[in-house]
Amino acid sequence: MISVGNLTKRFGPKLAVDHLGFEVRPGVVTGFLGPNGSGKSTTMRCMLGLDRPEAGVTLFDGTPYHDLKRPLHEVGALLDAGYVHPGRSARNHLRWLAASNGIARTRIDEVLEMVGLTSVAGSRLRSYSLGMRQRLGLAGVLLGDPHTIILDEPANGLDPEGIRWIRDVLTHLARQGRTVLVSSHQLSEMALMGEDLVVIGQGRLIEQSTVISFVDRYADHWVRVQSPTAETLVGPLTSAGAEVTKVAADTLDIRGLDCVAVGEMAAQKQMVLHELSSQTGSLEDAFLKATAGAQEYTSTGLAAQ
Amino acid sequence: MINLLRSEWIKLRTVTMNWVLAIIAVAFPLMVTLLTAYFSGDAAGFNTRDLTSVLTGTIVVAALLCGVIAAASITSEFGFGTIRPTFAATPKRVQVIIAKGVVVVVATTLLATIVVLIGWLAGSNIASSRGATIDLADVPTAVPAMAGAVVLTAFMSLAGYGFGLITRSTPVAVSILIVWPLIAEGLVGALLSVVTGNDKIGLWMPFQAGIRLVLIESIGDGGPSRIVAGGYFGAVALGLVALGSWAVNRRDA
Repeated sequence: MISVGNLTKRFGPKLAVDHLGFEVRPGVVTGFLGPNGSGKSTTMRCMLGLDRPEAGVTLFDGTPYHDLKRPLHEVGALLDAGYVHPGRSARNHLRWLAASNGIARTRIDEVLEMVGLTSVAGSRLRSYSLGMRQRLGLAGVLLGDPHTIILDEPANGLDPEGIRWIRDVLTHLARQGRTVLVSSHQLSEMALMGEDLVVIGQGRLIEQSTVISFVDRYADHWVRVQSPTAETLVGPLTSAGAEVTKVAADTLDIRGLDCVAVGEMAAQKQMVLHELSSQTGSLEDAFLKATAGAQEYTSTGLAAQ
Repeated sequence: MINLLRSEWIKLRTVTMNWVLAIIAVAFPLMVTLLTAYFSGDAAGFNTRDLTSVLTGTIVVAALLCGVIAAASITSEFGFGTIRPTFAATPKRVQVIIAKGVVVVVATTLLATIVVLIGWLAGSNIASSRGATIDLADVPTAVPAMAGAVVLTAFMSLAGYGFGLITRSTPVAVSILIVWPLIAEGLVGALLSVVTGNDKIGLWMPFQAGIRLVLIESIGDGGPSRIVAGGYFGAVALGLVALGSWAVNRRDA
C-alpha cells in the first residue's frame, strides 16, 4: 500500500505538485495519469525522496521511503530508463545496484533472464536501444523482488511485443499481491491493464477511482441503432427529447435515451433492427474530458488546418 | 556501509575513462622518472636529490589526474542521471557520499603509493646501475617528500571530489581543479600580497600549501611547515567535501 499525503513541490514560482494525496492499493495495477507537465514524474521523484518536497509525506506500507533499510527489497522504481552510464555493461549496471542493497549476484542473472537481456548482458549500454534500456530498468526494479513497484512510462520505446510483454508482467506482478503504480500516456494500454486510476492535472488530484467508474463518470454514453428503416425513428426520438446523430444511412447514434426506451420505441414502429447497443467512450475520451481544464500545454489546432 | 563500498567500487572500476586516467597517472611519473634515471644516471652529479625531485615533481601531475578521477566519479553520476537510482537504492545520501569518497580516495592513494614505490625502487636501481650514487640517507627530506606525494594525491582527490559535489558538472569541476592551482591561486595570492602588504600570504593559498608536501629543499621561506601546510590543504579539501555533501543532501537529486 502506498499512501501519499499533502505532497507539495515548488520549482521557483511554479507549484508543480499542489497538496496531492492519494492511495494505491495492492493487488491491482494503478494507472497514474495526467497531461504533460501535470506533475506525475515530480510526484514520483518526491515519493522516493529524490526531489525534496515542501510538504507532505509518502508511506510505503506505513514507512517513509527514507527509513527503509534496504529499499530495493521493498520498492522497485524505474523513473527513466536513460539513467545508466553508457560505458557500463548491463550486468555491471545491475551489479552495483545489487551490491548497494546486499542482493546476491545470482539474482542478476535471474532478472536478466526474466527481461530477455541475457545474451547482451555484457554489451555496453551505449549500444542499447530505448526498448532494451526499458527492459534493463525493469530488471533493476525486480532485483530485490520488491512488494511495491513504481514505473514512469515503462512502455516508452517498446515495440508492440514489448508493450504486451510489459503489460503481462505488470498484471502478473499485481496478481501476486504487489502494489503497482504506473504512469503512462498510452491510455489504451492502461485501459487493458489498469484497474485503479489516479488522475492529476496541474499538480492537483482530479480523480481517484477504478477505471470502470472513471470511464462511467467522464466518458460519453449513447445508444446505437442500425436498421434498414432507421430514418423512421428520427422523428419519435427527437420528440422524446433525444439527440440523434445520423452516422450512416442505416445507423443512428442516440443520446439522452437508454437502450430499453429506444428498443420499445422501435418495437412500436415494428422496425427490424440489425443492431441495438449501448456505446461508451474510451478511457482516452474520459481522460481528455476530465483533464480538459488542467492541460498545461495545448496545441493551436494544427491538426484542423 | 560495506555494501555501499562494494557498490561504489564496482562503479569506479567499470568506467573505462577511470582506467585510462589511472594508467596515465601511473605511467607518466614512472616513465619520466625511469627515463631520467636511465639517461642521466651516468651524468656527473646526478644524485638522490635529483631522482627524488623528478619523482615527486611528476607525481603532482598524477595527483591532478587523480583529482579528475575523483571529480568525475560524482559528476558523471549527475551527468548520466545514475545519481537517482543511486539515491533510490540508498536514501540516506550522506552514506553514499562518504562511501564514494572513501573508495575514490583510497584507490587514488594506492595508485600514488604504487608510483612512489616503483618509481623509487626501479629509478634508484637504474640510476645506480648507470653509476650514480643513490642513498636515501644523503637527503633526509627525500622520504617525507615522497610520503608527502602520496598524501598530496589523497588530498587532491578529496578536493576534486569536493568540487564535483559542489558543481555537479564534469567540465566545471575539472576546469576549476586545473585552473585554480595552476593559474588562479597565483593571481589571487599576488593580489592579496599587494592588498595586505604581506608577501607570504600566497604561501597559504590551499594548493600552494599542498605542494609544500612534496618539496625536497628545506622549507625556509617563512611559509608553513610540511605538516602544517599539508594539514591545512587537507582541511580545505575536507571542507569542500563537507560543503558539497551539504548541498547534495539539500538539493533535488
